[in-house]
Amino acid sequence: MTGQELLGPIVAADLGLENVTAVKVEAACASSSAAVRLGHDLIHAQAQDAVLVVGVERMTGMSREALTSAMTAAIDQSGEAGSGLTFPGFWGMIMARHMHLYGTTREQIAAVTVKNRRFGATNPLAQFQKPVSLEEVISSPPIADPIRRFDCCPATDGAAAVVLTNETLARKYGSPSVRVAASVMVNGPVRIGDYREITIHDGTLNAARRAYERCGIGPRDIDVAELHDCFSIAEIVDSEDLGFFAKGDGGANVMREPSARDARVVINPSGGLLSKGHPTGATGCGQIFEIAMQLRNRHPNQVPRSRFGLTHNGGGTAAAVTVHILEATR
Amino acid sequence: MSEVELRGIVQSYTVIRVPGQQLAAEGPFVLLLVELDDGRRVLGRFNGSEPPPISSRVMAQTRENATPSFRIAEETP
Repeated sequence: MTGQELLGPIVAADLGLENVTAVKVEAACASSSAAVRLGHDLIHAQAQDAVLVVGVERMTGMSREALTSAMTAAIDQSGEAGSGLTFPGFWGMIMARHMHLYGTTREQIAAVTVKNRRFGATNPLAQFQKPVSLEEVISSPPIADPIRRFDCCPATDGAAAVVLTNETLARKYGSPSVRVAASVMVNGPVRIGDYREITIHDGTLNAARRAYERCGIGPRDIDVAELHDCFSIAEIVDSEDLGFFAKGDGGANVMREPSARDARVVINPSGGLLSKGHPTGATGCGQIFEIAMQLRNRHPNQVPRSRFGLTHNGGGTAAAVTVHILEATR
Repeated sequence: MSEVELRGIVQSYTVIRVPGQQLAAEGPFVLLLVELDDGRRVLGRFNGSEPPPISSRVMAQTRENATPSFRIAEETP
């Protein structure tokens, strides 16, 4: 966001690393999970024994308009950006259509923010530490109708890091270690006009399908998930495309008591992007950190007896999507 | 530059109240996602301050490759 390039060598040097391959990976809001995906492949190919993935972003101190422009750089500049579309606008269109097609209500969408802010209040690393009420979300100022301020994640400064190693090193140093059971990245539509239906995100569907196949499990086997709730409606759409709920049922499930939901998965117990904040380059690593803490039984909002945890990170118009499934090795 | 006429159905809408820097002076404005009669989906502005309901029929006269400005289509016999 600040315009600094060559971040690979700069971050490596400041960490005291010398004589290493250090490179920046860019996939908009999915940048650091894309880097995890590439690091995972380097280790599987036995090209490297260990990879350090660092996600960093600085977003505060910019005007709202300057930040909006910087974020909008991930919209196709040769086409749709000229219309004035922004990311809140992209998700605003998805929200209006989700309500129209499936009967999802304003209250159900606001309930995502209420749920995640409640989790955030007990996660010391979250940017927002105060819960909000349904009424506060619904009456907050409009940003990109029908999206309002508390439907949006905040601009955030943040960083997170993940150490990936082969199994030998993991057994030696990583205790208790967490296994990367699946690391998947796929592309999706790069323009809103390329979607056959904007409430169904092929990138997420395809990445999730491939990840479940690789592990031989299904969405019902996931205990805990950190998914890309850049806007409250995004959690509903993503929870459907990841297979936790049928298309159109995501909103109704948010309102239910956890035991009455159609899937047992606990979604965004970190507080999600809506509470933690969304330092774009750091978010992917941040999600993996949260799931690793869950699988190590050390999370402030611990989901009991978690074996499989999933992360879902999306860049652009859900154009770069990663899904990671991590497994506790006890 | 030749003008083309676009007709289609509103798939969805938003009102951009926080535009990027270049369009800061133009906000707020209504954006529509329109499925044209030929099957293409395009983004365009709407010539009103309140978005029309989803499924409304809209039309625009526009230059090719420019962002269209839609209005409600008159009833066609």
